[in-house]
This record gives sequence, structure tokens and C-alpha cells, in this order.
Amino acid sequence: MTEESDILRIVEEDILRILGEEKSKKVSLESIKSEIKVTYLFITNAIKELEREGLVQSQGDSIVLTKEGVGKAENIVKRHLVLENYFKIKTKRTRSEREAHKMTDILEHYISKEVIEHIKKLSTFKTEVIPLTKLALNKEGVITDILFPDYGLFERIVSMGIVPSEKIKVMYKIPDGMVIYVGGKKFALGNDIAKGIEVLS
Amino acid sequence: MKLRIILVGQPNVGKSCLLNALVGPEVIVSNYPGTTVEVTTAKKMVAGGEIAFLDSPGIYSISDRSEEEKVTEKALFEEEIDGAIIIADSVSLERSLYLASQVLEAEIPVVIALNFVESAEKKGIIIAHKKLSKILGAPVIPINPLKKWGIEELVNALLEIKETKGKTFTVRYDDHIEDAIREISSQVTRTQTQLPKRFVALRVLEEDADFYGYLRDKRTIEAVKESLIEHPKVAEDIAITRYGTAAFIAGKVTHLVHVEEAARRLDERLDGALLHALGGPILTILTFVTIFGALLFIGSWIQDVLTGFTEYLLSLIHLGVGFGGTALEAGLAGMMAGISIALPYVFIFYILFTLIEDAGLLSRYVVNLERFLRWFNLPGRAIIPLALGMGCTVPATRSTRILFTKKEKFFTAALLSCVPCSSRIAIIMGVVGYFGGKWLALSVFITLFVSFLVWGYAVKRITRIEKKPVLYELPELPPYRIPSIGNAVTKSWIRMKTFVYLVVPLLFLGGVAYAGLDALGLTNVIVAPLSPITWWLDLPNVAIIPLVFGFLQKDLTGSMLLLVLGGNVSSVLTPLQIYTFGVAATIGIPCIIALGMYIKEFGFNKAVLLTAASILYGLLFAGLAWRLISLF
Repeated sequence: MTEESDILRIVEEDILRILGEEKSKKVSLESIKSEIKVTYLFITNAIKELEREGLVQSQGDSIVLTKEGVGKAENIVKRHLVLENYFKIKTKRTRSEREAHKMTDILEHYISKEVIEHIKKLSTFKTEVIPLTKLALNKEGVITDILFPDYGLFERIVSMGIVPSEKIKVMYKIPDGMVIYVGGKKFALGNDIAKGIEVLS
Repeated sequence: MKLRIILVGQPNVGKSCLLNALVGPEVIVSNYPGTTVEVTTAKKMVAGGEIAFLDSPGIYSISDRSEEEKVTEKALFEEEIDGAIIIADSVSLERSLYLASQVLEAEIPVVIALNFVESAEKKGIIIAHKKLSKILGAPVIPINPLKKWGIEELVNALLEIKETKGKTFTVRYDDHIEDAIREISSQVTRTQTQLPKRFVALRVLEEDADFYGYLRDKRTIEAVKESLIEHPKVAEDIAITRYGTAAFIAGKVTHLVHVEEAARRLDERLDGALLHALGGPILTILTFVTIFGALLFIGSWIQDVLTGFTEYLLSLIHLGVGFGGTALEAGLAGMMAGISIALPYVFIFYILFTLIEDAGLLSRYVVNLERFLRWFNLPGRAIIPLALGMGCTVPATRSTRILFTKKEKFFTAALLSCVPCSSRIAIIMGVVGYFGGKWLALSVFITLFVSFLVWGYAVKRITRIEKKPVLYELPELPPYRIPSIGNAVTKSWIRMKTFVYLVVPLLFLGGVAYAGLDALGLTNVIVAPLSPITWWLDLPNVAIIPLVFGFLQKDLTGSMLLLVLGGNVSSVLTPLQIYTFGVAATIGIPCIIALGMYIKEFGFNKAVLLTAASILYGLLFAGLAWRLISLF
């Protein structure tokens, strides 16, 4: 069973995520309440705790992220997206899209205790996302994101099987680049591309 | 019944090999991407009529980004086709299904040819092809083009390909994206395109500007995208969903069993050495040195045999009465000389090159050589035309199309003037090496390399090509394979066919033409005005004739030199003169056929300018080189 302190942590993370997803980093208390389906007491307690940690500030009826809060919220939002992507990819056609969203909402807080080995890695706070260029040789990483301004390059990379949630390994370093192993195939990759591939090691 | 079927697949998926199995060995099979940059057609007669197969370049996706993709896309949507064979790789099925789902989105009837079934099984990957066929709503036929199984079933499936229309699988995107697709679909006008509306809508959402024109109101695009709050990057989400779906289907039909992979360990050991930061380039250069060594050794041995045979043959026939006899004799002598100089080297070079290509080694060498191209601010894939240039300059020039900008294409094509093609390699080995010794041949190669660097630097400055980020262009490093010698010989023979059918008659005609000029006293008309060149090169005046004839057809160079000097080159020319001749004959746009290809690719003015400049540069360089050497 979930303990009260766990719920508090979950609600805290949810609040940070909701704030993080908002461009203005400001959300009314009302909309937080409508989005997180727990008792009001949990929400106010969570906000108090977040304020104590210096991550959010109350402004009348709204909550605003502080500078420190923005960083933390971004991490949570990213983790949420990674998981959501993961479920979109892996559960396509067995569950509906909406269900995938729901799964993500639920699982993101529990994932460290759950299922698949490499998702486990995504949920812990200790490991951080690094660009592929920083991944150690012969160490397996999981792709979390692909960041290219140009969709052409993005699509090319994805069509070659370099997609979030895939395992990836750097097999050799070559001048200004590397040879990677992903999905059973080897590719030579320049550092300028590798920089845009985020992985969890 | 007549059918037109296009073959689509990733690089290295065995596409050309399948085409080979379908229609015979007329098509050159190549393990190396960039060798097909055009769509080629081959016909097959079948029981119910005729099938025309269109071979397309290897691609991962049809989203119109690279030259290969553009060519394939054009063939898919602009040619009249009845369907497509998608060659799928059993080892990485999801990648093939990504491509397949794009073709299915365009509602083109497909048959999936499942290749590498056995090598997948060796890796413990077993694919339930019937289940896959059920999911996709299209026939899935396991094939092995090398052993020729599955080919008949594939052809039978093709004969019924039209029946799959409308029953096939399509990727479903999430609700928001599907709404957006519907909205944009309703804007597609039927006057401009017959492509499925859903497909056009997807391409619009995927930011393909070519498809914007098919909409009644382009402003819809922005409006629809604005309303997609859940998908700020809708194009990326489409690609990911498509891949996710492909991976999901692949997972559903794939059964994994554990196997020991001995082969893989060997692969890794080889790669450990060949991709080593320092060892890699050294091994690469050593390989090429070994190839040239082997070429010189084996080639000169065959040349010896052929020359002896020629002399014996010519001593048997005495035709030397009257002009006709002399001309015929000169023609025969020219032809035989040309064959013994060029044939051994060109043929063996092609065999060795094909073996390296088929073994999967070439892509590793490419990775190792890429760094050197950065001196010239060229992208890595420029190495492909340059490597092909060691075979023949003409297809190499055509393959510069795989580069991105006009400048890059032109620059790479310009570099080809200092990359010896097999005919030029034959001159260096069959003339310089044969008559002047192997060390002299080696010094011509070294001179050529220096001239390549100087020329490259000069053209880089003139074209003002800019440095670009290092991308490595994601070349795939295919698994190593043990190449089949029979296959290599067949392929080399196909590549050599032009030599036999075109060059051999030309060699004969060259000899006759020379005898004609000589008889009419016209040799001097060519020789005299060009004597400043031979003076600069310190060669006998008549040596200009092989150089001029060489431009018509490079393989004439050697035979004509022998004709004008009367057989034994080494007694007429000093080693230094042989060296100078070798350098002068090998730098520059090699021949008139290459010039034709340059005109086709870059226009008349640029092509002629480049040819003239490169030949002048070659002559200048050769003259400077011997003067520099004679100082010591």
C-alpha cells in the first residue's frame, strides 16, 4: 500500500510537473486541484512543503515556480515525456492513447519499483540525462530524447532505429565521431549528431 | 499482362541481389551505398506476361531529404507503377517496417520480400511471416536470392499484387494527430494530385513543403498546427509513432531464442582493429598498398604472357604489303598491345575491389579515410565517388550526385582528375612499371598523390568551399561476409564488358588511324604544333600521339606509345622519361567519355574549363616533377 508520505511526494511532483508544462510557470490553485484528484489537504500540504524547499511561491490564488523550481520541474516534465513516449511506443495498439497517458501519470512515481529494467533507470533521480558524446565506451545507455532543430535529420535518425527507449552502445571512438550499436546494427556517427541524442546511462 | 514493380529497401538489404535473382546478372550487385543513384529498369518475362522491375537506391525512409530518397520518391509517385516489393531485413525488421508503413500510407500495393531469414535464425531471431502477412494485409515471402529460393513465390505474389489494394495496414496516430490529418485531408484538392488524401496530409504535417501546394488553403496548416497543443512538434511525434508501431509489429511477429554468437565475436575483433583511431587508417592504407602490390605482381605476369603471345601471333601473319596490310597490322598490334597492357590490371583491380566491397570492408575503410576529406572541407560521403573513381571516372562522376551542394559535387568531381581510374592504373603498371620497374611505378603513384593534394588545395581555394559540421552521414557498417569469388568474377566481367565491346575495337581503330596518319604524312600535323608540350616534358615529339589518343580512350595510351616508339619502350626512353610520361598521362580528366559525363552533370562551360585546366595542370606538374627530380 502507498503510504501518506509517498502520496505527498507524488503530489509534490505532480504540482511541479503541471507548473513546468506551463509556459508562464504560473498556475491557479483551482486548475491544480482539478488536475490532481486527491483531497485538498494533500495539495495545500504539498504546496507548503514545496514553498519550504524554495521551489514555488504563492501569488494570491496562483502558484509560481521559483528559479530553483524551474530546473527541478523541467526534469520531472522530461521524465514524464520519456515515459509517455515509452508507453506510446511499446503499448501501441494494446492500449488506447488515453490509457497510455494515464499509465504514465500513475507509473511515473512508482517506476523504480516496477517492471522493465531500463525504465527503472529513467525514474531514479540519481542518474541524469547525458548527451551520447558523454556515454562511456561499451556501456549500454537508453535513448531518452533526440534534439534536432531540423525535422529532416530527426526523421532520418528515427527511421534508422535511433528512437527514445531504444538501447544504445558506443562501440568505438573515431576522430570527431563514434561507431554506435543500436537495434542490431552498427552506424558511424559524427559528434555533431551524437550531441543531439540524449541518453541515460 | 504487363506489370511495373519498384524495389524498395534499406541500404545493404540485398535489393540488387534480389533483382539479380529475378532477372539475371545484368545488374551490378553492390554492397556499397551510393552505387545506385538512379532508378534502373530490368524486364522479366513470366508465364502471364511481362514484369518490369525498377531498382531504386537504398533508403531508410521516403521523406525526400537526400538525393537517394528524392530519386526513390520520384519513382514511387511519378512513375506509373503497379506496386512495390519491399525488401525487409529479418535481422532488423522494425526498420524495414518503418519504410513499409510509409509506402503503405501512400496506398501503393506491396509485397514484402523477407530477406536474410537464415542469418537472422543464426542470431536467434525467428520471424512468423504468416502472422506478419496477416497484420499487414500484404503477402510476406521469405526469400534467399543467393540460393534462389522464394523467387517463384515472390513472382506469383506479384501477379496478384493489385488485389491487396485497400486491405492493407495503416499506422494509427493519436486522436489529436488523427483529427489534424482529417482536417488537412479535407483541404486536399483532386486537381493537382492523385495521391491519397491521408498521405498528403501526413506529409504536410511532416513539413514536406512539396506537398503544401496540394492544399486549397495553405493557411490551414498553421491553424491546424496551432491547435495541436498536445503536439508542439507534431512531425516528430508522427515519426516516433510510426517507428513505435513498426517496432511493435516487429516485436509481435518475432520470436527470440538464445544462441551463442561466435561470428559476432570475430566481427568485433575485426572492427576493434579496423576502427581503431590509429590502427584503422594504417590498416586501410596498408590494404591499398597490398592491393596495388598484388596488382603489379600478378598483372605484370599476365602482361608478360600476353605480350609473348602477341609477338608470336604477329610473327605468324605477314600482312605488310601495301597500305591495307600495314594498317591492318598496326590495328592488330595496337589492339593486342592495348589488351595486354590494360586488361590484366583493369580486370584484376575490379575483382579485388569487388571482393573488398562484398566482404563489408569498404565501409570501414571509408570511415577511416573520412578524416582526410575534412582537409578539403568535404563531407564524408565524398569518399564514395573518390573510391569509385579508382574503378572508372565516369560512374564516379555520376555518383557525386549523392553530395549535398553544387559546390561539393563539382569539387569532388574535380578531385577525380587526380584519382587514377583503372585504365590509368593500368598505364602506371603496364607501361611505367613494366618497362621502368616497380619502383618507378611507385614513384608515379607518390607523385600522383602529391598532385592530388596540391590540386585539391587549389580547387578548394578557387571554389571557396566552406567547412561544415562533421556528421559522418550515418553510414551503416554492415556485418562482414565472406565474399564469393565467383560472384566477384561475374561482377567484374559485367563491369569489363564495355572494355571488350567498346575499347577493343577502338584499340584496333586507333592502330589503323595511326597507320593512316603515318602513310599520309599527317603525323607531323599533330606532332609539330604540340612540340612545346613534348619539349616541356622532355619526351620525343611523337610521344604526344599516345597522349592525344589517350584522351579519346585512355586504354589507347599504352598501345599507341608502343606503336609510335616501335615496341620496346625501355630502349628508347630513359627511366626519367618513362616516369614523366606516366605522370603526364594520368593527371587530368581522363577521356572524352568522362568529359561527356562532366558536361551532363555540370554543364558545358564548367566541364570544358575543368577538363582543360586539369590536363594543363597535369602537363605542368609532370614537367616540374622531372625537373625537380633531375636536380638530385
